[in-house]
Amino acid sequence: MLKKIWTIFKRDLKVNVKDFISLYILIMPILFGVLINIFTPGINDTTVNLALLEGENKEQITYLKQFADIEVFESENEIRNRVEGRDSIIGIIPEDDAYYLLTQGNESEAVIDYAKLLNGLYESDINAKDTNAELIELGQTVPPLKKSLVNVAILFISILGGMLIALNMVEEKVDNTLSAINVTPTSRTTFILGKSVMGVLLTIFGTAAIILIIGFGGINILQMILIILVTSLLSVLVGFIQGVTNKDIISAAGSIKMLFLPLIAGVLAIEILTDKWQPFFYWDPFYWAYKGTDMILSESGTWTQILSYSGIVLVLCGIVYAVLAPRIRKGLE
Amino acid sequence: MIKVKNLSHSYNKDEKYQVKNINFEVKKGEIFGFLGPSGAGKSTVQNILTGLLQLQEGEAVVADYDIKNISKEMFNKIGMSFEQSNVYSKLTAKENLDFYSKLFDVKTVDSNELLNLVGLEGKENVKAGEFSKGMKHRLTFARSMINEPELWFLDEPTTGLDPSIAADIKEIIKTKNNDGVTIFLTTHNMFIADELCDRVAFIVDGEIKLIDSPENLKLQYGEQLVEVEYIENNETKIKTFSTVFPEDKKALQTVIDQHEIKTMHTKEATLEEIFIKVTGRGLV
Repeated sequence: MLKKIWTIFKRDLKVNVKDFISLYILIMPILFGVLINIFTPGINDTTVNLALLEGENKEQITYLKQFADIEVFESENEIRNRVEGRDSIIGIIPEDDAYYLLTQGNESEAVIDYAKLLNGLYESDINAKDTNAELIELGQTVPPLKKSLVNVAILFISILGGMLIALNMVEEKVDNTLSAINVTPTSRTTFILGKSVMGVLLTIFGTAAIILIIGFGGINILQMILIILVTSLLSVLVGFIQGVTNKDIISAAGSIKMLFLPLIAGVLAIEILTDKWQPFFYWDPFYWAYKGTDMILSESGTWTQILSYSGIVLVLCGIVYAVLAPRIRKGLE
Repeated sequence: MIKVKNLSHSYNKDEKYQVKNINFEVKKGEIFGFLGPSGAGKSTVQNILTGLLQLQEGEAVVADYDIKNISKEMFNKIGMSFEQSNVYSKLTAKENLDFYSKLFDVKTVDSNELLNLVGLEGKENVKAGEFSKGMKHRLTFARSMINEPELWFLDEPTTGLDPSIAADIKEIIKTKNNDGVTIFLTTHNMFIADELCDRVAFIVDGEIKLIDSPENLKLQYGEQLVEVEYIENNETKIKTFSTVFPEDKKALQTVIDQHEIKTMHTKEATLEEIFIKVTGRGLV
């Protein structure tokens, strides 16, 4: 059985790498990863940049480097030219016994206040260790925007996996090859599993690619695989149903796009709506998948939580399967 | 090899049967022709026997497997060549055959050997989508032999093929039959049935009207006639004589003795004429 599943998967892979649309879907996760990296700040980036005079006060430079990105220049004129550049950078320039801040005028108030504060703390000789405040971390180690984008991208890729399955099934329908498969000793279960491998592997490969490209190396890989596998089940089911009920690639791809609605609904519910609205989205498998993936990316999810969310997604997929199974079976006859 | 008893099937699962009360047997090593016009129910019966349609009523045993509880193992023993070509257009001819060969649990025939057999040598690495209709049909036909079936279902195996390729296909069928392969041939082409089949079944409106060998049918339903073209008084004349009635036999002898014969041939009834005579229906 495993050999036949592998054979069916290899056939699909061979066809997919020759087909432009399928190939585009296959490399989409890498594009996602690169784009997210380009358009969102890095995990440890700071948004405050300061320009200082080289050699004027080495101690000050060392102190400020702890809290901001520092650029040094040989003269005040050079600092002035730099400040006038397109991005936000604030010059700290000596005058008599003190310093003045040189700004372009369009920097945000928070950035200017932060620069003022840093300069004030240095002049008052106050360090971070001088505070009496106790540090309690909530476990957030990555920027929320980046985490959300990665989370949505992973769920999006699971839908692409379903789309790939649908495309491969449509090919079987167009070429009328299902009847030929049905007169071989390959069982329907083997055929379905073989056809599903491509969609599931794309989801796993895509998730791995995004995580590696963006740098979420510290997450619990097993938890991620678990939640991705159960999420991709839904896409596999919808991929099959669209594949066996559509006779051309465009209409199949169009029908699969309907899956983006529950995905967006689940994401928006968690990110925007208050607690009282949350139960309205409990039916949505993507809601739970997004919740679980968010915890994994934050490195804050316990196994109990992840297993619970995966279980809920599994049950919801089971319900979808119960509804769709007769149509899938009929379509494969 | 095949036993069918009281088989009936309705697509809408109601009383309007597409095939009803079908009974026949196919012996091992036989070429059995299932003949009838389009829509007669030939493909329905064949699809039930190959598991493509579920058995609703009656009994059927194919290659010692009960079709009611069909086992996938049965497909290691049977081959099926479809009327409509169904190959992966994005794969090459060889990739198509290699893929199918891996879906069987028995020893399979080398893809190149099969491609050569059906005249597709040199086309191994051409995508099936670029093939002509006839080439796709040959590829579909070649695929049905990949597991060296004991029982071979052939649905219109020569339809759409040019005469020389059709002749090659018929030769392959004869050779396989000589090797002991049982063949279930579904066709509306009476000439191929006449040439290949040991026995034929006439099916019309979902019912089998008759089963017998082509020879017996001709003896039973055809008239024994001889058509003679001869010269009499510098004129070419054509006359038909019965080989059964004594006066016709005598007249024929006289013509042979007294005139120059240009042509002379027996005029036995064709299978198509017998089909029309028995069923009252044409084959279109």
